Amino acid sequence: MTRYILKRFLISLLTVWLLVSVVFVLVRLLPGDPFSSEKLTPAIRANLEAYYGFDQPLHMQYFRYIGNLLRGDLGFSLKYQNMPVSKIIADSFPYSADLGIRTILFASLVGISLGVIAGLNRGKPLEYLCIVIAVIGISLPDFITGSLLQYFFGLKLGWFPVALWRGFRYTVLPTLALSFYTIALLSRIMRTSMLDVTGQDYIRTARAKGLSTFRIVWRHQLRNAILPVVTVLGPITAAILTGTFVIESIYAIPGMGKFYVLGVQNLDYTVILGLTAFYGIFLIAANFVVDILYGIIDPRIALTGRRN
Amino acid sequence: MNVEKGVSPVRKTLHNILAVIFLGLLAFLGLAISAPAAQREFTFSMAYEIPGLDPQKANSIPSAVVGTHILEGLVRVHDGKILPGMAERWEISEDGLVYTFHLRDALWNDGKPVTAHDFEYSFRRLLDPATAAEYAFAAYGIENGKAFNKGEITDPSLVGVKALDAKTFEIRLVEPMDYLLGYLQLMCFLPTRQDVVEHEKDAFATGAEHMVYNGPFVIKEWKHEQIMILEKNPRYWNSDAIKLDRAVIHQVYEQNTALNLFESGELDMVDIPSNLYEKYATEGKAKVSLTGADDWIKVNVRPDPKRPWLANKDFRKALAWAIDREEYLKISTKGLYIPNLRYVLPIVAGVEKHYAEEYPLEYYTAKADPEKARAHLKAAMDHLGIDDPAKISVTYLIQDQEECRLMAEALQDQIQRTLGISFNVQIVTRKQRFLQEGQADYELVYSGWGPDFDDPLTYIEIWGSDISHNNSGWGNKEFDDIVAASRKETDRGKRLALLFEAEKILLDEAPMIPLQLRRRAWMTQPGVSGIVRPFIGSDLDFVYATVEK
Repeated sequence: MTRYILKRFLISLLTVWLLVSVVFVLVRLLPGDPFSSEKLTPAIRANLEAYYGFDQPLHMQYFRYIGNLLRGDLGFSLKYQNMPVSKIIADSFPYSADLGIRTILFASLVGISLGVIAGLNRGKPLEYLCIVIAVIGISLPDFITGSLLQYFFGLKLGWFPVALWRGFRYTVLPTLALSFYTIALLSRIMRTSMLDVTGQDYIRTARAKGLSTFRIVWRHQLRNAILPVVTVLGPITAAILTGTFVIESIYAIPGMGKFYVLGVQNLDYTVILGLTAFYGIFLIAANFVVDILYGIIDPRIALTGRRN
Repeated sequence: MNVEKGVSPVRKTLHNILAVIFLGLLAFLGLAISAPAAQREFTFSMAYEIPGLDPQKANSIPSAVVGTHILEGLVRVHDGKILPGMAERWEISEDGLVYTFHLRDALWNDGKPVTAHDFEYSFRRLLDPATAAEYAFAAYGIENGKAFNKGEITDPSLVGVKALDAKTFEIRLVEPMDYLLGYLQLMCFLPTRQDVVEHEKDAFATGAEHMVYNGPFVIKEWKHEQIMILEKNPRYWNSDAIKLDRAVIHQVYEQNTALNLFESGELDMVDIPSNLYEKYATEGKAKVSLTGADDWIKVNVRPDPKRPWLANKDFRKALAWAIDREEYLKISTKGLYIPNLRYVLPIVAGVEKHYAEEYPLEYYTAKADPEKARAHLKAAMDHLGIDDPAKISVTYLIQDQEECRLMAEALQDQIQRTLGISFNVQIVTRKQRFLQEGQADYELVYSGWGPDFDDPLTYIEIWGSDISHNNSGWGNKEFDDIVAASRKETDRGKRLALLFEAEKILLDEAPMIPLQLRRRAWMTQPGVSGIVRPFIGSDLDFVYATVEK
């Protein structure tokens, strides 16, 4: 087990290093440069480039960046004066994570439940209702659900605040808006998985034994059907927790989402690289957790590394 | 629950009296706590986080908005008028080259006095190449300022700023700048204190407790990307004139969200995006003012055998007359922006009134003049030996903002319809547009300028043949001579008359085709008064505003 973890850790390090190196080159290939602005003169540009170390040869800049990265120093933003990239992440990530955790919990609960209900009611109207909800959820883009919810429930009806993030009431609309897509996705996967499991022999055996429906669903069907959902939850959790630009903008939530866009708009190389490294590490960690969860949910995997 | 059974009537009465007194005290306390002190608070939002509040490094309007409220320079400009700031009076030498400022007894918020040394330090810091200040060029009019910033000299004491004593500050200029006082309102000229900057080092001005304030407000709280709270500065020398107790700034990136927050009463003021301008204007709710931004199409006039028409003045004039400014502005900004029929912003200072009132000029018309356009085109084609306009093709470089796209599409339609040439639009990111523009890698480019000081010169001087911003390849000796002569002129009327001549040369030669003047539209809640929207440096002034709810 230790060897397995060590191997995974080393591969993860290699992945992050590769990711950062590729992005390091890619951002510099983007058209434009960080300092171009209306009033820039060559003399002042020279001063700025010297200040941020851009006057050094590229490979020197690269080694300096990697060296700092190993020490956890992500450098300073090129747009926000004297603002360490690590501080940008540390300040904004808690808000994205807060919204993200609420969304994942809510979406998982509702999504999995919808999927179970749909799976157990094959051919009945209830199943079709769940499918319709799922299709609508997947089809609606987040800026539509976000804006509509804000307009109707925030402005017109006044049931919830329009925007900002200052207490529980402020979290309701953004969480709802952000959950739609995930609910739809999870319910579809869960339904398919449930149908798959329901057809299995051991379920027929359980029924023959006379077990109650509830016991069958809870002890046997759910546990076996949930694996595909867990697989997909890893990357989804990473994506949602590290910030979503649209919902955070619509509800004025100070999360990480907008830095992905602003970073590229401003050609703020250090911010782009820092966010990339952060997201990469997060995603790798999330997948790692998923692997561990596999082992817990299905002990066969932990023992043999395979389901059969 | 009959606990009172057996208690004497006297004790019962005593209990009752005590209970009443106790409840009375509670009620009184409750009222005292719940009745808030009448706080006059002004809440608004900004779309972009303030990149920094270090005055000498500031390069954006959001920074200037906050900076001018928490700091004060030698003067304060309010509603176009120059008011004494840290300097209570000043003298200007006859030749206009030496300004002597006498500072008042003012304090920083930590109790230390504001001294001439603070200004000497700040001005030198602005020009110090190690500061890498983007606005260092604003101080190039000061003796040795340019040389120091370019590293040609290394001794800061050679720069023409000097603290003659603790309360007297002197600026020596290279040539007379009668607009200097207004220029000093720019954030780059606001003071910082040497001991604070050296103590804070990299953390300077990154948080509320990392700087000192000498302005009407101090920063009480600053949560980056979220909220900034300003509170009235009791140590400000003119605090009696400040009627607001607090200002709250929310970070709201999405325009529609800001509007919704305004409609729900959370914000006291909001900017109206151009696509909604018509709606609020017809409801009578929108206030408008010029932003100072002046936009035009810049032409790369360098001779190029593959594109010989760009270097031809008649061709450029043909484009200028083929454009229907009124129409494309209606399409793209719903009439929020207005046509620019000349070059210089009309509302910059003249001698006594606005520049446009004293030097009126309507060079172009708001609607197109297709006959003139075609006449110019024919003249150009004859000169170049081209018989068919379809053989002429130009590319217009713009940035990828929605507004620009709409404008360019309308212009393309107008020009192709009227002239029959091929007008292509190339869309790039904003940063790339600046880069290409700087490298003269364009045929036509959407360009413009915002004013740095209240004088026509801020718009005229960028077309000098030796100025780096002039990447069009255009240079005109007469223009350069007139501008150079104006710089030596101490009489304001004569100087502006010269600049007016220069403006006419620019319009005659047409290295640029005027497009529009930008306006902003905003709304305030009833009860909000005293808000000023300046067009230089900062774009919001609530120093003397008040809110009655």
